[in-house]
Amino acid sequence: MTVTQEKLLEVSNLKQYFKTGRHSVVKAIDGISFDIYKGETFGLVGESGCGKSTTGRTIIRLYDATDGNVKFKGEDVHGKKNSQDLKKFNQKMQMIFQDPYASLNPRMTVMDIIAEGLDVHGLSKTPQERKQRVEELLERVGLNKEHANRYPHEFSGGQRQRIGIARALAVDPEFIIADEPISALDVSIQAQVVNLLKELQEDHGLTYLFIAHDLSMVKYISDRIGVMYFGKLVELADSDELYKNPLHPYTKSLLSAIPLPDPDYERNRQRVEYDPSQHDTSEEPEFREITPGHWVSCTSKEFEAYKQELNKN
Amino acid sequence: MEKILEVNDLHISFDTYGGEVKAVRGVTFDLKKGETLAIVGESGSGKSVTTRALARLIPSPPGRIKQGEILFDGKDLAKLKEKEMQQIRGKDISTIFQDPMTSLNPTMKIGNQIMEGLIKHQKMSRAQAKSRAIELLELVGLPNPTERINQYPHQFSGGQRQRVVIAIALACNPKILIADEPTTALDVTIQAQILELMKDIQKKTESSIIFITHDLGVVANVADRVAVMYAGKIVEIGTVDEIFYNPKHPYTWGLLGSMPTLDSTEDSLIAIPGSPPDMLKPPKGDAFAPRNEYALEIDKEMEPPMFKVSDTHYAATWLLHEYAPDIEPPEAVKRRMKGFAQTGAGESKEGERP
Ligand SMILES: Nc1ncnc2c1ncn2[C@@H]1O[C@H](COP(=O)(O)OP(=O)(O)OP(=O)(O)O)[C@@H](O)[C@H]1O
Ligand SMILES: Nc1ncnc2c1ncn2[C@@H]1O[C@H](COP(=O)(O)OP(=O)(O)OP(=O)(O)O)[C@@H](O)[C@H]1O
Ligand code: SF4
Ligand SMILES: [Mg+2]
Ligand SMILES: [Mg+2]
Repeated sequence: MTVTQEKLLEVSNLKQYFKTGRHSVVKAIDGISFDIYKGETFGLVGESGCGKSTTGRTIIRLYDATDGNVKFKGEDVHGKKNSQDLKKFNQKMQMIFQDPYASLNPRMTVMDIIAEGLDVHGLSKTPQERKQRVEELLERVGLNKEHANRYPHEFSGGQRQRIGIARALAVDPEFIIADEPISALDVSIQAQVVNLLKELQEDHGLTYLFIAHDLSMVKYISDRIGVMYFGKLVELADSDELYKNPLHPYTKSLLSAIPLPDPDYERNRQRVEYDPSQHDTSEEPEFREITPGHWVSCTSKEFEAYKQELNKN
Repeated sequence: MEKILEVNDLHISFDTYGGEVKAVRGVTFDLKKGETLAIVGESGSGKSVTTRALARLIPSPPGRIKQGEILFDGKDLAKLKEKEMQQIRGKDISTIFQDPMTSLNPTMKIGNQIMEGLIKHQKMSRAQAKSRAIELLELVGLPNPTERINQYPHQFSGGQRQRVVIAIALACNPKILIADEPTTALDVTIQAQILELMKDIQKKTESSIIFITHDLGVVANVADRVAVMYAGKIVEIGTVDEIFYNPKHPYTWGLLGSMPTLDSTEDSLIAIPGSPPDMLKPPKGDAFAPRNEYALEIDKEMEPPMFKVSDTHYAATWLLHEYAPDIEPPEAVKRRMKGFAQTGAGESKEGERP
């Protein structure tokens, strides 16, 4: 895989607040910044409800951002106004959703679901071409072409998710936001899909934002990983570095909770609990670079302590 | 140990335009009191259909139980009238479904959805039900439950919705809890909390759990026994140690081999080649044969019976036949097994577990 130094996506100080009552607001994402380079896979992990899906959905403009901005190939995504620009942008950036049930229209056949993007963007010229492309995509994601004329409810959870992946791939996007694309799949199909995503990346230079909580899979597929906690990024590093030298106590807790396929290990597992009150509160934490490419949200006191911790290792 | 549920030769089909989809083709297992049985297996292998049938939640038409028995508490649930089944469902047998969105009503506040059952089945007052609902949400680790009971499902993240569904299922201390991918939408720390919570409740109430998951790490954590399904059948069943440290079926080998480990550096994962069989036309012989590099001639002709490996361990593969050639599991699985052996895991530990 060739990861370039060319920034494909630049997210700066992105905020997404939801009003949930007259006086209450949920700060689903609260000022996060990161770049994604062309050709890389950027993994995003974190606690349930910390804002991973909201980040993905805001980037692709399913929501308007409360504040901050997102640039795709140097162009401001949230500034796009005319429908022509938007359409082009929509083809380049696709999303695979977390919930394979809610994201497929129950009244459409698999053929029409997958071909929807082809139709919108006028990518297939004849009905035969359309059919052929859909069948190709079905096989690519591990389904049969016989499945094309069936409806979503006739499929198991995992099969539905593969339909969603085929739909995203249909329009030849450059950037895919994959929101827990494999959580609903069994491990053998997960491996197929992950291998497929990697293959597609190599062949077409695709870039991924890969949202997941299966940390062994995230580590396997990602070049870099960002860890989120309550709407903020708390740590960001190359994936090997993150697993070898986790610094933020939340990251440590996350890593200690990964279930491993070893019954004996599981019987003796020791989990590290994260206690947010353990932090130094003398100042607001900032995102600081501890070693090149390894960023942690911390105060200046913690910064020194983390640096020492790394030197010891 | 006392059996609480016995499933014998269960067959379930769906009548579709394309023909009869034979989703479950002869499943037999039992569930003991207080144990956790994990069901693993490829997507589409019939895990959800099998377990939905136990609570008689297969939509009919198009689905039907063609054959087989589901014995619970002296009754055959496969033949029970819907009215009698309503007495059992939710109270004795409670379910957490794979898709949290479809099990929650999008137009109803979360609190009311939890309270509804408590008021109806447990005869609680509204005030009692409300404080119990808040307590349950706290139990499953949802922050600010007092505020959140007034919100609607779309205001919850995927994992938060799933925790609500778990709270509803646990409300009644069921005898059998069927949990279909209950933690798949959750991050590992919340997952660990929920698994601990389920184990805790299980210890207190001696309930039995059927746990469906793709995550073999979770299986290793929760299961006493494991059933491996392929194409509508159980192809291997045994204690958790037997399945992880002494797997016999090539499909189980494939499953274990396709998990990345945290220190894996390989360029690609070992995926089981091909796609699952089309259950409109299940293949003749061993359904896994077309994808199995170890397949013998006989696999293409005749379906293997269950061979006994130990009193608790059975596998349906001709490789276990006395005349079968000696075949070693793939390197990745052997490495895994050896790695485990080095740490002392997996050596026979009789008496430690059921
Ligand atoms: N439309 C909405 N209205 C109000 N609150 C919302 C809305 N969507 C999300 N939230 C809240 O924003 C927060 C972040 O949600 P999000 O779906 O991004 O989490 P997540 O990290 O993807 O979690 P999970 O791993 O469980 O999917 C949650 O507290 C959620 O309740
Ligand atoms: N309503 C239905 N109509 C037709 N076929 C169905 C229906 N429900 C399930 N099936 C078929 O039954 C088979 C078993 O499905 P099931 O949902 O039990 O799989 P599963 O093992 O739970 O898979 P997953 O891990 O993806 O959830 C699949 O081939 C599926 O296509
Ligand atoms: S209280 Fe809830 S869990 Fe218990 S029987 Fe009623 S609906 Fe089912
Ligand atoms: Mg999410
Ligand atoms: Mg299922």
